[in-house]
Amino acid sequence: MTTISLPPLSWAARRTRIMGVVRRDFAALRRSPIRMFEILFWPTVELLLWGFVTAFLQTQRVPFVVAFLLGGVLLWQVLQKASNEISIAFLEDIWSRNLLNVQVSPLSSVEYLVGLVVFSLGKVVFAVTVMSGLAFALYGFGVGGFGVGLAPFMGLLLVLGWSLGLVGIAAVLRFGENAQVIAWSLVFVVQPLAGIFYPISVLPAPVQALSWFLPASHVFEGMRTVMSGGPLPWDRLLWAAGLDVVYLGLTLALFAWALRYARAHGKLSRFGD
Amino acid sequence: MVILEAEHLAKRFGPVTAVHDLSLTVAEGEVVALLGLNGAGKSTTLHMLLGLITPDAGSIRMFGMDLARHRTEVLSKVNFAASYVDLPGALLVTEVLDAFARLYGLRRPKARVAELIELFELEPLARRPMMALSSGQRTRVQLAKALLNAPRLLVLDEPTANLDPDAGDRIRGLLGDLARTNGSAMLITSHNMREVERMCDRIHFMSGGRIVAAGSAAELAGAYGAADLEEVFLKVARG
Ligand SMILES: Nc1ncnc2c1ncn2[C@@H]1O[C@H](COP(=O)(O)OP(=O)(O)OP(=O)(O)O)[C@@H](O)[C@H]1O
Ligand SMILES: [Mg+2]
Repeated sequence: MTTISLPPLSWAARRTRIMGVVRRDFAALRRSPIRMFEILFWPTVELLLWGFVTAFLQTQRVPFVVAFLLGGVLLWQVLQKASNEISIAFLEDIWSRNLLNVQVSPLSSVEYLVGLVVFSLGKVVFAVTVMSGLAFALYGFGVGGFGVGLAPFMGLLLVLGWSLGLVGIAAVLRFGENAQVIAWSLVFVVQPLAGIFYPISVLPAPVQALSWFLPASHVFEGMRTVMSGGPLPWDRLLWAAGLDVVYLGLTLALFAWALRYARAHGKLSRFGD
Repeated sequence: MVILEAEHLAKRFGPVTAVHDLSLTVAEGEVVALLGLNGAGKSTTLHMLLGLITPDAGSIRMFGMDLARHRTEVLSKVNFAASYVDLPGALLVTEVLDAFARLYGLRRPKARVAELIELFELEPLARRPMMALSSGQRTRVQLAKALLNAPRLLVLDEPTANLDPDAGDRIRGLLGDLARTNGSAMLITSHNMREVERMCDRIHFMSGGRIVAAGSAAELAGAYGAADLEEVFLKVARG
């Protein structure tokens, strides 16, 4: 009986616990057809919408690379999904009144978050793969246009998405379930600022200044440079990476603070009532 | 051997003093009850011992370690079930147990899950989703989850509240065996006095966040000149 568990601080135990989170979320996804449908529903809707806009602009001979729009849609989905998946996975535990079970298990907060991140990564990669195929089939848009930039661009947006998701979780821990609105909507505050469908230069000057504080702005500008045949803009990538690191650090600290607050005020057992 | 040592715990929620200067020990294999009126501070106490609520004051040592500093190590030897928590509804019973077996870092999750499914007679329910189960059936799955890691301390907050008399009786028997054979200690709250009389070695009465009386069921009955624990409860609660 004494050897039933792995030594709690060993890497094997950590890996087992993290994979416990991933497998659990995967099982839940498999058991929920609606959830499966949803992975592809919104990306497809957006792709179709912007695809037709692109087709229309092409007939109007609008003088810019219309593929920008489709590239924007694809990368935007990466950001939005990464953000929402993280906070939904956490809210899922609140909705099913399972949060206490997770919180009293030896799973540490970091392991829990790593589990959520790994699982969201799987979902994002799946959605993006299907969308890329669709974009190619319907509009002849090949993600090859991003060149080698695709992986770092996506990676940088994923990390920003996770930070935003963490803010959502922290908000729920601090303010209760009503704050789930923040978990859904924060990423949409980023949307207009990040120059997803238009260059940052169209924004009013003060807003532009703000935009450059978002890693996503650098990613989308970089994407346009690459798609119009330019070289991989290393300065943009570095800016985005630096900002990502800063935001991830800040949001992890925010999460830790919110969890301490929730424990100090007995909030963990008050969700779901 | 003492496995849980809580000293001078206190917790306030705004104007409400939920727990005040509470000290408690639990020894290996001991079954200890916390009783008291609604709002007496039982759940708050249990939640502090599980690290869900940070005490305002006091210290908690379990298995010789400080809970706040050795959270993962301590919690891997503890488990919990309560009437007010639930398990993910979309998952099958086996999937839920498998997931928690991994969250507890078990070496052989599948084998352990199979053992518990047998122990709790869950075979007919094993391939059904949690949300399809009755509340009593879910309670059984929760208790199976609570035993996955063969905990040295099992914390149960009104564990049998949803069980029919037959299931309740069998679960009590099962938990009793567990304490005897594995030396698992238990800390239980319950509003079922017969259950407490039958299961618990030591009983603490709480009122207004403090422990106001403690002893075995027989000792308490003697001290309060009462026929049974139910009468003790009423006497303590009504002053
Ligand atoms: N998270 C919280 N926020 C605010 N007040 C709380 C919180 N948790 C408990 N309380 C208050 O603390 C007191 C003790 O509550 P607790 O849940 O510990 O009682 P209990 O003994 O478990 O009662 P019951 O038998 O009804 O389960 C109550 O007055 C309750 O209102
Ligand atoms: Mg209670």
